[in-house]
Amino acid sequence: MTATSIIWQVARREITERGRSKAYLITTVVTLLLVLGLVIVPSLLGGGTEEYTIGSIGEGNQPIVESAELLRNAGDEPEDEESVAISIVEFGNLEDAETALADGEVDAVLVDGSEVVVESVGGFGDSAVVSLLQRGAASVELEVIVSESGQAATDVIDVMTSDPLETTTLSGQEAGDESAGVLAYAGLMLLYIAILLYGTWILTGVTEEKSNRVVEVLLSSVKPWQLLAGKIAGIGILGIAQFTGTILVAIVALQLTGAFELPNIGVSSVVTLVVWFVLGFLLYAVMFGAAGSLVSRMEDAQNVAFPMSLTAVAGFFVSIAALNDPDGAAAVIGTFIPLTAPFVVPVRAALDAIPLWQYLLSIVMVLATIAGMTLVAGRIYAGALLRYGGRTKLREAWRSAAE
Amino acid sequence: MLAIQDLHKTFGNVVALDGCTFGVERGRMLGFLGPNGAGKTTAMRSIFGLIHHEKGSVTWDDNEITINERRRFGYMPEERGLYPKMKAHDQLTYLGRLRGMSASDASKSADNWLERFDLADRRTDPVEALSHGNQQRVQLAAALIHDPELLVLDEPFSGLDPIAAETMGDILREQAAKGTAVVFSSHQLDVVEDLCEDVAIINRGSIVVEGTVKQLKDAAPIRHIELDIDGDPEPLLASLDGIRHTTVNGSMHTVIIDADTDMRGFLARAQNAGRLRHFTYTTPSLSDLFREAVQ
Repeated sequence: MTATSIIWQVARREITERGRSKAYLITTVVTLLLVLGLVIVPSLLGGGTEEYTIGSIGEGNQPIVESAELLRNAGDEPEDEESVAISIVEFGNLEDAETALADGEVDAVLVDGSEVVVESVGGFGDSAVVSLLQRGAASVELEVIVSESGQAATDVIDVMTSDPLETTTLSGQEAGDESAGVLAYAGLMLLYIAILLYGTWILTGVTEEKSNRVVEVLLSSVKPWQLLAGKIAGIGILGIAQFTGTILVAIVALQLTGAFELPNIGVSSVVTLVVWFVLGFLLYAVMFGAAGSLVSRMEDAQNVAFPMSLTAVAGFFVSIAALNDPDGAAAVIGTFIPLTAPFVVPVRAALDAIPLWQYLLSIVMVLATIAGMTLVAGRIYAGALLRYGGRTKLREAWRSAAE
Repeated sequence: MLAIQDLHKTFGNVVALDGCTFGVERGRMLGFLGPNGAGKTTAMRSIFGLIHHEKGSVTWDDNEITINERRRFGYMPEERGLYPKMKAHDQLTYLGRLRGMSASDASKSADNWLERFDLADRRTDPVEALSHGNQQRVQLAAALIHDPELLVLDEPFSGLDPIAAETMGDILREQAAKGTAVVFSSHQLDVVEDLCEDVAIINRGSIVVEGTVKQLKDAAPIRHIELDIDGDPEPLLASLDGIRHTTVNGSMHTVIIDADTDMRGFLARAQNAGRLRHFTYTTPSLSDLFREAVQ
C-alpha cells in the first residue's frame, strides 16, 4: 500500500465525514448567504431614491432646494431612478416648523434662505441633509456672482458636476475603476477568514483524535506524517470547494445585480486568490496541526494556537496598510515574510502594485517555508501525539520523536 | 513469530523496559502479565513503533517490523478510542482500508464482525450512540477487521461483564486456532490460566517468568496446599518446613510451600489433629506463580 493511497484514505474520511457534517453544511450556507447579502443589499439600498422633506419659512429657500437636487442628481444615468428627491413644506412661523422637525415630519428647516435648522449635528441623516443643502446654497450664491459678471447662471451646475481633470494611473488602470481596491479588500477578507477557519479545523481535528484516543489505533498502521498530510489534504479540498464556491457565487451575484462594473474580475483574479489560499492554508495548516498535537483536551487547543492566530492578525493589518500604500515599506516587507505574504501579496496583486520578481520570489519563499515547516511540524506532531496529560512542551515533542 | 529481544526504554529517569525479551508463535496465545507499571503497555506499543526503544529489537519472522508488517497486525490499545461521531460500519471499513483492504473486502468484513457481535442492526449508528459494552465490541472488531497475523490486545478483558468476557475468550481462542499469533495483557489471572498455553510475567521492565502454563507449574519450586480442619491447624502447619505464605479465609487455610518439602505423613497427622474437611496438594495456580515472581 503506497503512502499516497493511505493519505488519500485519510483525506477521503475527512471529506466524507466533515462534508456531511451539519457544521460544514451550515458554514457553507451561512457564508453564501452572507456574501449574497453583502452584494445584494447595498445594490438594493443604492438603487433607491433618498427622500427628504424640508420645512421652509420665508423667501429664498426654493432655489437652494432645487440646486441641491440638481447637483446630486447630475451623475444619474437616464434610465436609473434619481438619487435624491426633496419636497418642501411651507410653515408660517418657526415654532410650528420646529415642532414638525422634532416630530420627524421634516428633516430640516430652511429659514429665509440663510439658515438651516436640524435636530442635532453628528447624526448621519442630519449631516447628510445639511451638506446637501449647503452645496445647494453655495451654488445659488455662485449663480448670483456669475450672473452679476454677465454669464449664464445655468452653467454653474454643469461646471460643478463635471470632472475637468483627466485621470491616468501609473498602473494603467482605467480612470474611475475603483473596483480593484474593492476587490482587493474583499479578497483579503475572504483569504483571512478562510485560512483561519480551515486552519482551526486542522487544529481541532488533530486534538480531537488525540483526546478521543483513536490516534493510537491509527498510528499502529499509519505514519504520523501520512495522517497529518491526509488531514490537511482532506480539509484543504473541502476548504477550496467552499472558498471557490463562495467567490463564484459572489461574482455571479455581482454580475446579475450590476452593483459594480468589475472589468477586473477575470479568471486571473480568481486564480490568484485560490493560489494564495492554497499557499496560506498549507502554511498555517501544518503549524496548526503541530499545535493541535501538543494538547490532549479541546479546551486547550485554542490557547496553544494563539501565536499562529496572532501572526495571521498581524498579516491582516499589514495587508490593510498595503491596501492604502501597496508600494510602501510595510507592504514590501510583508511580501517577504512568509507568514504574512499570503495576506499581503494578493492585495498588492489585485492593485497591480507588485513587480513580478517580488511576486515570484514571495511564492518561492512561502513554498520553502511550507516544506521546512512540514518537516518541523511533522516531527513535533509525531513526538507529541501519544503524550497525554498536560500540554506537551515543544522541546519534549521534538526530542521524543528523535529517540 | 514475534520476537522481542532485549528491549530497553526509559522515560526521563523512569526505566520502563529493562532488557525485556519474549516471543509469540503463530497459532499460540500468550498471556502477558505484570503488576501496574511493569512495562506491559510500553512493550506492546513498541511492537507498533509507538515508542522508540533505545536498545534491542522487535522482529516478525526475523524481519525488522516496518509499517508494512504492522498493517497485518491487529491492535487494541489500553486506552480505547474510536471516532465518536462516525458510523460503526464506516469506521471499521475505514480502519480496514488503512490496512490495505479493498473497499468491498473491508465493507464485507465489517459487516461480518458486526453480525458476529449482534450489532448488524446498529451498523449505521454513530459509535457514541452505542453502549460501553458495544463500543468495546466495535473496538475489538477494529483490531480483527483485516484478519491479522498477529493480534495484540492491551487489557482486553477489563470492563467486560462475564458474558462479554466469555465471547472475548472464544474469539481469541478461535484466532489462535486458525493460526494467528495472539498476545494479550491482563490482570485477571484466572482468565489467563483458562485461555493461554503460554504466559510471560514482566516485572520492572524485564521478563521474570516465561513458558507454558503447565511447564511453569510443574517446574515451580512451590506447591499449593488447601487445608480445612476442625480444631487448631496451627501446630499442624508448624510441623511443616518451607512455608512461604499463608492466607486464612474462615477456617480454610491456603498455604504456599516449597516444592521439596516432605509431605509424607502429613495427611495422617492432619487426620489425628481433628476431622479433616478439605485437603488439596497441587501445583501452584497462576496467581501463586505471579505473586512469587513479582514479590
